[in-house]
Amino acid sequence: MSTSVGNPVNRETVPAISVSDLSHSFKGHQALSQVSFCVMPQTLHGFVGPNGAGKTTTLKVICTLLKPSWGEVSVFGSSVRNDAVNVRRRIGFMPDHFSMYRQMTVFEYLDFFAAAYGLPVAQRDQVIHDVLTLTDMEGRKDDLISGLSRGMQQRVSLARVLVHDPDLLLLDEPASGLDPRARIELMEILRELRRMGKTIFISSHILSELAELCDSVTIIDRGQIRFSGPMDALLDNSQDHPTYNLRLAEASEDIISLIKGLPEVAQVEEPEFTTGKDFVVQLKPDTSANQFLASMLTLNLPIVSFSQQRRHLNQAFMDLTTRGVRT
Amino acid sequence: MITGTLTLFQWSLRTDVRSIWPHIVRAGFAAFMLFSIFAAYADVFGTMGPGLRFFQSICFLNVVLISVSGISYFVSAVTEEKESGNLALLRLAGVTPLAIVLGKSTSRLVSSLMLLMIQLPFTFLAITLGGVTWQQIISSYLALAAWMVFVANLALFSSVRCNSPGRAAGLAGAILVLFFTVQPIIVNGLAAIPAGWLPPSVVTFLNSVVNLQVKMSVMDSLARILTVSGAGQGLLSFQFWLNILAGIVLFSVSVMMFDYWSRPSQTSDFGTSATARRFTVGRCWRLPLMWKEFLFFTGGRLFFIVKFLAYGATVGVFMYLQNASQPWSGYWLTGDYAWACFLTLAAALTLETLMYSSGAIFTEIRQSTLASLAMLPLGTSRILLEKVLACVVAALPVVIWLMVVYLSASESIDRHCSATMVVSCLIVLLLSSHLTVLLSLYTRWAALPLALLLTFASFMCCPMLILASFSLTDVIARSHNWQISLLLGSLLNLVWTWLFVLLPIEIEIVKRWDRLSQES
Repeated sequence: MSTSVGNPVNRETVPAISVSDLSHSFKGHQALSQVSFCVMPQTLHGFVGPNGAGKTTTLKVICTLLKPSWGEVSVFGSSVRNDAVNVRRRIGFMPDHFSMYRQMTVFEYLDFFAAAYGLPVAQRDQVIHDVLTLTDMEGRKDDLISGLSRGMQQRVSLARVLVHDPDLLLLDEPASGLDPRARIELMEILRELRRMGKTIFISSHILSELAELCDSVTIIDRGQIRFSGPMDALLDNSQDHPTYNLRLAEASEDIISLIKGLPEVAQVEEPEFTTGKDFVVQLKPDTSANQFLASMLTLNLPIVSFSQQRRHLNQAFMDLTTRGVRT
Repeated sequence: MITGTLTLFQWSLRTDVRSIWPHIVRAGFAAFMLFSIFAAYADVFGTMGPGLRFFQSICFLNVVLISVSGISYFVSAVTEEKESGNLALLRLAGVTPLAIVLGKSTSRLVSSLMLLMIQLPFTFLAITLGGVTWQQIISSYLALAAWMVFVANLALFSSVRCNSPGRAAGLAGAILVLFFTVQPIIVNGLAAIPAGWLPPSVVTFLNSVVNLQVKMSVMDSLARILTVSGAGQGLLSFQFWLNILAGIVLFSVSVMMFDYWSRPSQTSDFGTSATARRFTVGRCWRLPLMWKEFLFFTGGRLFFIVKFLAYGATVGVFMYLQNASQPWSGYWLTGDYAWACFLTLAAALTLETLMYSSGAIFTEIRQSTLASLAMLPLGTSRILLEKVLACVVAALPVVIWLMVVYLSASESIDRHCSATMVVSCLIVLLLSSHLTVLLSLYTRWAALPLALLLTFASFMCCPMLILASFSLTDVIARSHNWQISLLLGSLLNLVWTWLFVLLPIEIEIVKRWDRLSQES
């Protein structure tokens, strides 16, 4: 990506997205209620919530398509309400549905959007080459979009939002409808983009991949923020009782009582559907893993692995959101 | 098969009934129909056989409405499923092509028939007025029914053949225009060409084409039925059987070719040659929206040149015909040939403008690209303005040839049309294209016909205002001894039309565009 658009001043300190007390309603329906969160530059931020939670509305406000009823939203310090044109130059929005000119070739489609962002012809060639290389679509640039598979169309969509070299990418359900391979490849591209310094705000339902990919996450439910912060803070289970997974090479029948007898251990459980060599160990508060491991070594047991147990994003999501569909 | 057909029929009918816009469009059609019938009713008093004349008006109105609804309504039967991506799902669910075609078209046929039902009381009125028999009425309605079957199946065929409603409407419209114009073209062409120039077998073939067209034409059939002597003819004319037969053939071809024509396209119009495509399409211009629309309207610069040459060839044909009939006139184009050529080009310009205005924004809605466009650092006005500029550039070939023809034969053309008429036509064209754009933001299939009907209705009062403006400027110019009354009149007319008619429509277009962008 050789182009540079936008003002790089204070890129590190000013939040990429700052949403403060955002409320929005339409047709008497309160879609968002005092939503506040922040996304730091050069991070990959997940935005999750059940259907109808207000994800797309929030995205539309951030990308200037909707004017907020109340509250303030800024992108790299520019208000979406008062400085929409500048905001648009710094963001690339990929909607949740396929919106493409299917009768164009991939090259024509990208050329059109590059020209619409005011890039001169000479620069357009280089940019199109770069984004097609990044999305691995260089070999298909002369194909009609209508003839491409869904995964390839999604890559072209991603290439389109990159042509003007935006600092912030807003992706609404980019992996929906993609097969596993296409999804994995898309996630690789997103990782690469983050390495290139882009800020990525991604709304998705595929929680396992978000947990692996994102640095931070916001969970929204019924128009209200349930959690916003680093992914580790959400998944870390260690506030009260640090919990660890322990695997041994071999285990005797009285192993559970042996481990339970250690002074650092609060509880030991054997997970279901295991071969009797895996254990979930909950330590007492204010006890470190080192202390526990030191005690374990005195028992002379053949330890294969020892790792901190983290909550799954699925579990956190279920804990924080309400059952049922919003009416 | 029956279950699939019934399900699709029921679903189409239910969707149609639940949506508000089809009802508004139908109400518009019905209002236009009633308006025209009342106009015809007022016209027949004091004439011989008022019932017959009145019924003739109703029948010819039906021919127009059936043809318009065929192009606009039936063409979306299958294309809307193709666009929404449901076609493959329906086929996977075991619904056969026959069931899809039958199920999707029957609901439309029912809606169209309902629209024709409102005129029944007026048919009884025609009988009361006298001059028309029951046999003529039944025979006419059978001829119209057969015509509806033919037009509906032609539209259905186009809907199966093409991937988008626009293309399907274009194909069906082109076939219908060809159907109605083939007779005068061949007859006049044969009359103009020197005897012996064409081989006798070709002349015989062309004559048989003309005969077949006359036998198939509902206009000729109605003209035969609705004469004073037409009361003695049989109920079912030759046209009836030919139209039904043509309808069945088109339906069968649609069903048989359904799967083949519904496959997603893998290659461009240029085959696999990327170089040819690059050369034809070229790079995006500094005004990108204008380039995109130009590409969609014309197919690229190569087709633009081809179009320019095709219009030139049309003018050439008229010049050749004149030269053949008046070998030593000393003019390239003059008299009736010049007027006919001018009219042909003006009709082409009208058709092109309406096609562009109906597709310019609707394409964005259909392809869900409104949000992507709204995200560009361009204002709505700039986006819409670039689209208008693209229309102008795409229509340049016909405009250039129109001006060439006018400049080379202005005397002949001025004899047939006045400045008032030109300004009126221009205003009507502007109004109808504006209405088409606006309505395409609201309705899926009926923007163009509805806009034409609204324009037609508004045209009843427009000429009076235009004439009054011309008279006013004429009086002012005379009192000041100015020689520019025509220019002043034209300016005044364009200003008031823009200020009071076009500007409000433009504001509404921008508002609607913004609203749809937010919702998309």
